[in-house]
Amino acid sequence: MAGEKLETVEIVKGKDESPNIKNFGDFWNFLKKELIPRGNIGTPFNVISLPIMLLGYIFIVYRLATGLGKPITNLNQQYPWGLWIGFDVVTGVAFAGGAYVLCFVVYILRVEKYHAIIRATVLNGFLAYLFYAGAIVLDIGRWWNIYNPMIGNNFGVNAVMFLVAWHFFLYMLAALVEFSPAIAEWLGMKRLRKILGAMTLGAVVFGICLSTLHQSGLAALMIMAKSKIHPLWYTEFMPILYFVSSIFAGLSMVVFEGSISHKVFGSQLDEAHRKHYDDILVGLARICAVTMFGYFFLKVILLVHEHAVPYLNSAMGFWYLFEVIGFILIPCLMFISGAQQKNVSTIKFAAILTMVGIILNRLNYTFIAYNWYVPLSEKYWPAPMELVVTASIILTEIWAFRWMVNRMPVLKEPPAWAVEKEH
Amino acid sequence: MEELFTYYDIYATKGVEYLIIIVFYIIIVAFWKFVNIKPY
Repeated sequence: MAGEKLETVEIVKGKDESPNIKNFGDFWNFLKKELIPRGNIGTPFNVISLPIMLLGYIFIVYRLATGLGKPITNLNQQYPWGLWIGFDVVTGVAFAGGAYVLCFVVYILRVEKYHAIIRATVLNGFLAYLFYAGAIVLDIGRWWNIYNPMIGNNFGVNAVMFLVAWHFFLYMLAALVEFSPAIAEWLGMKRLRKILGAMTLGAVVFGICLSTLHQSGLAALMIMAKSKIHPLWYTEFMPILYFVSSIFAGLSMVVFEGSISHKVFGSQLDEAHRKHYDDILVGLARICAVTMFGYFFLKVILLVHEHAVPYLNSAMGFWYLFEVIGFILIPCLMFISGAQQKNVSTIKFAAILTMVGIILNRLNYTFIAYNWYVPLSEKYWPAPMELVVTASIILTEIWAFRWMVNRMPVLKEPPAWAVEKEH
Repeated sequence: MEELFTYYDIYATKGVEYLIIIVFYIIIVAFWKFVNIKPY
């Protein structure tokens, strides 16, 4: 089957250490064994991250019990959206964009070069949606009603939020199906692996359609705030900007995450993969550079189209130029330079700059350039508890990613039986 | 007497936007070639 073939191309045979799960009891015993931590648990990362995560969980329970206002957040009627929406949801979803871009490149364009990193990228995208987009629960005042758009109890089809809710939900399912062959391999379920492998291509196409829609759908949420967002940022073409920027934001995240994974999980990689990795980075840098170049011109043309040029000579104008030149144009040039000289450090640094730029851009829309006319003393600043909750969500995602990579065939070779039988 | 020449606002007619698009198309060709130079 088409999906099955695609999923198993160029996979080197691995050792067959699959469990023999025949019933729920076997599965439960296997899961219990897998949940036991492996290796040294007293690492500096664990020691620092665990207290932050636990503190964050306490704050989350407190927020769900007492509501959105002070002291847990600094949100108010003037600033209904803050760090949780601006960073966790809107920025997190842009960073998760790498999954749909790479799936398009690998499964649709058939560029097999990137196949080696596809599972890690899809897993990263899936977890980003699960945790960051899932954090939207925290930002909904009556969070206990979150399932209503799904079950038809007051669908709210006129709201952009309805669109976003369904897109998030469906994309999470699509990403789960895309990643599910790795879960089946981990559980040693050969028949299920075959069925899921066949579903991959369909899930990829569905996922790409959903991503183009919901990346821009997030910007559609901002369109209604015309009087509040600074004219340098506001344009009716924001959905296009969000979609285009999600391409290089997602790929920059792939470069960043991949670089860390290669250091942390280096022992799971074979020599060929490690040698090949620099070529993958060079390819990703090229895609980023071209997309950023187009995005930069889009920004310029929209600046003129919206008659916003006179605003450049103001404090907000300088802030805008700082974002566009410092975090779009400069990283774009760095990506080109890094790709031409095959300088991986330059590419990685450009990826970090790009990510910072995307964070700035999304936070500008949510609370920096939003209500820009409000005096500084009345501006929104994230409360300490908001910061801890955000850090807690990010760290939980990293823990989940690490747990899955250490157990499932994400970076390491899949079991021998999973290698194609149809060729 | 009827005027023989009428001035147009380059912003209102979107003249600037057309110019930017033309510049973009010119530069993208050079940019594409530049990006695809093989690493040395």
